[in-house]
Amino acid sequence: MTQKSNRRDFVKRSAAATAGLFVFPSIVRPSALGLGGMLPPSDRVVIGSIGVGSQGMSNMRDFLRLKNGIAQFVAVCDVDSDRQKQAKEAVDAANRNKDCRMYGDFREFLEKEKLDAVSLALPDHWHGIIYTETINKKVAVYGEKPLSRTIEDAKVIRAAAMKNNTIWQTGSWQRSQSNFHRGAELAINGRVGKIKYIEVGLPDGGRGIGTPPVQEVPANVDWDMWLGPAPKVPFRGVLHWDWRWILDYSGGQLTDWTGHHVDIANWGAGMEHDTPIEVAGHGVYPAEGIYNVPVEYDFICKYANGIEMRVANSSRLKLGMGTTWYGDLGWVHTDRGNVLTASDPKILEEVIGENEIHLYKSENHYQNFLDCVKSGKETVAPLEPAYRAILVALLGEIAMTTGQTIKWDPEKEEIIDNPRASRLLSKPYRKPWELPTI
Amino acid sequence: MKKTYFILLFAALTALFSACQKEGVYKTLIITGQGDHNWEYSSPVLKQILDGSGLFKADILKTPAKGGDMSAFKPDFSKYKLVVLDYSGDSWNDATKTAFVDYVKNGGGVVVYHTSSSAFPEWKEYNEMIGLGGFNGRDESAGPLVFLSREGDLVVDDTTKGMAGTMAEKADFEVRTVNTDHPITKGLPVRWMQAGDVMLGNLRGPGKNMEILATNSPRMQFRRPPAGTAPGTWQAPPPPRFEPVLMAVRYGEGRIFNTVLGHAEEGGGPAMQSVGFIVTLLRGAEWAASGTVTQEVPYDFPTAAAPVLRPDYLPVTLDVAFEQIVSYDISKSTKYYTFIKSQIALAGGDEKALLAIERKMVDVLKNPQATADAKKLILNELSWMGTEYCHQAIIDLSSDPELSDEVEFALIRLQKAN
Repeated sequence: MTQKSNRRDFVKRSAAATAGLFVFPSIVRPSALGLGGMLPPSDRVVIGSIGVGSQGMSNMRDFLRLKNGIAQFVAVCDVDSDRQKQAKEAVDAANRNKDCRMYGDFREFLEKEKLDAVSLALPDHWHGIIYTETINKKVAVYGEKPLSRTIEDAKVIRAAAMKNNTIWQTGSWQRSQSNFHRGAELAINGRVGKIKYIEVGLPDGGRGIGTPPVQEVPANVDWDMWLGPAPKVPFRGVLHWDWRWILDYSGGQLTDWTGHHVDIANWGAGMEHDTPIEVAGHGVYPAEGIYNVPVEYDFICKYANGIEMRVANSSRLKLGMGTTWYGDLGWVHTDRGNVLTASDPKILEEVIGENEIHLYKSENHYQNFLDCVKSGKETVAPLEPAYRAILVALLGEIAMTTGQTIKWDPEKEEIIDNPRASRLLSKPYRKPWELPTI
Repeated sequence: MKKTYFILLFAALTALFSACQKEGVYKTLIITGQGDHNWEYSSPVLKQILDGSGLFKADILKTPAKGGDMSAFKPDFSKYKLVVLDYSGDSWNDATKTAFVDYVKNGGGVVVYHTSSSAFPEWKEYNEMIGLGGFNGRDESAGPLVFLSREGDLVVDDTTKGMAGTMAEKADFEVRTVNTDHPITKGLPVRWMQAGDVMLGNLRGPGKNMEILATNSPRMQFRRPPAGTAPGTWQAPPPPRFEPVLMAVRYGEGRIFNTVLGHAEEGGGPAMQSVGFIVTLLRGAEWAASGTVTQEVPYDFPTAAAPVLRPDYLPVTLDVAFEQIVSYDISKSTKYYTFIKSQIALAGGDEKALLAIERKMVDVLKNPQATADAKKLILNELSWMGTEYCHQAIIDLSSDPELSDEVEFALIRLQKAN
């Protein structure tokens, strides 16, 4: 998806969005008609949330915090009715009314709500279906990383977004932080010389919980819907947040954080459109307990341009968490907590000239998304880099599972000459769920 | 006829001789008999672990009891490639000390187990061999305090005075592998849990020719006053010390492995059953005996997630794992399944090794005694790594309603890229 095609499409889309607002005026209360420093309804973005757990709520609050009430939330959806109510309260408080609609089934939500944008924050095993179905509704999407649980899911989501020219923002919010932006800009403009090697440190896996006994599903949770396309298993109390430590739903810290530091690594190396051609390494899995994602992992990705990227849990790396670009002249390292360091402090004082590469600048990840929904321009974290970032983690996962060096054909987008590894590119869905067609 | 007998006899003798000389079986002497530690419990377990690996053949030698006549204690070190010290007690006689020093100087291997680093505070050469020790009156004159900083830098503190050696409460604790280049620790997870052990800290010693391979992992403390603290009343705690847990020392031509791990209880106990203890002991012992480590890091080496125990001190084999998987019940243990997955990864695509595993998997599918959960796990693995060989066995399970999802998954996947 190039910027050019986006711009071409922008007029079309904003016309459609405007039309949407005129056709469904009832979703905006007359009490909020552009008074008291609020934007007039026509300038707001009508938005809903699917998945209002910790991350979904956090995103919603960040949207609601934006000035002028640009984010007009009207509906929320979750398989946990307690979470629905909690989210509705937050929305109603912001809208000063009682109108926020609640849903337990995303299909009903997508069918009934007429929105400009949807914010999605769900367990990874649901991304393939819900991301694609949402995109197919021709709305803009704020989607949490990682893009998907499998590479096949990622391909389908991407194809749907390309077909619909979707305005997409990934929750890779580090792109809207100045230290990451600056670090990537120093790297991409050769301030460490020609980049040869990148190190990406992601969190170590944490403590396990053994295997808790089977227990009654809380009355507020639709467990079968929560499982969705994942294998049917009895409820053992692992639900919100902790799903991330079970392979049926997630790849652990590796797949979760790849959308942050691997994404930043690709941004600074100019590899936002690249996938490694060879991946090899190993993972360390807990021998006992229900948590079964790798708690340690360490693999090397080779790219066609000769760059090698090592992705490992942070305790294995000298510089720990974050992204480090190594060139023939030195290195630059960036991490959360506004960390930006370099082999030579002078590198950090370098000025990027007018004719050099200036990376997309966003001051606020949520504002940037809504601005782009209105303008039709590309966001700071569009879908393509999210696709490239998750492929790194998922190919790493396949390399660790098979114990083999995985070779990837970037043209055909498939694993070369390895039927076993190729089968790991997708996971069959439990009936009646199916990966949507585009 | 006579000639045949002779040839047979010769062959038998050769076989016997080569068995004794079998490369990699290191004759080992465990010295015990005194100590503050539960040596009666630990020494047989050490022998069991060492012998069970197939790499060592250990004899146990007990010194006279405390206060006994040590003059006759004269082991012949030269017969052994490795000496394991499970001893902290009366001093040895001078001839034995000299013989031990010569043994190590000439390339002998030594394992200093748990509180054995508290032995012989007065014996200079011994303290050089162990690198760091504690207790029994050791103070600053024994050497500096040696540990790592939070940033991983070596700290040699020769200004702080005081006694050496502290013993923590028995607890599960995290160990950090800080040197992944050394043969002993190469390939180990960087963070792993040790169960029910007594951490020995505040060790002092010359620390010459010593590499710290692993440390403990102290909790980070508040670097700022807690909320509500009255101004001027709060003093920042000292920065955390990452204290040595595993050390490798060179002395002359000899190699010494010093492990603070392995608190013993009756029958061994959780610390000695911890896979982290067992595996680092065996790797350290092999390095001390030979200078190299040929052992693979086993799949059940613990992680930061949880300690892992081997109640029988023995590694899992493929046969045992498949025997156990038949009665798989997730609420009891997942380790045999994890083991099978680890063996698939270890095969690294090798057709022969994978087919051997697949055959055992199909046996489980065909076994009417096998639990449905066991079959589900096997179907999940076969779905990607199976070949034609497993196909019929999967189809044969189609009629089992409990397995219908998994059978369908497996058949869908197996059709792909075939």
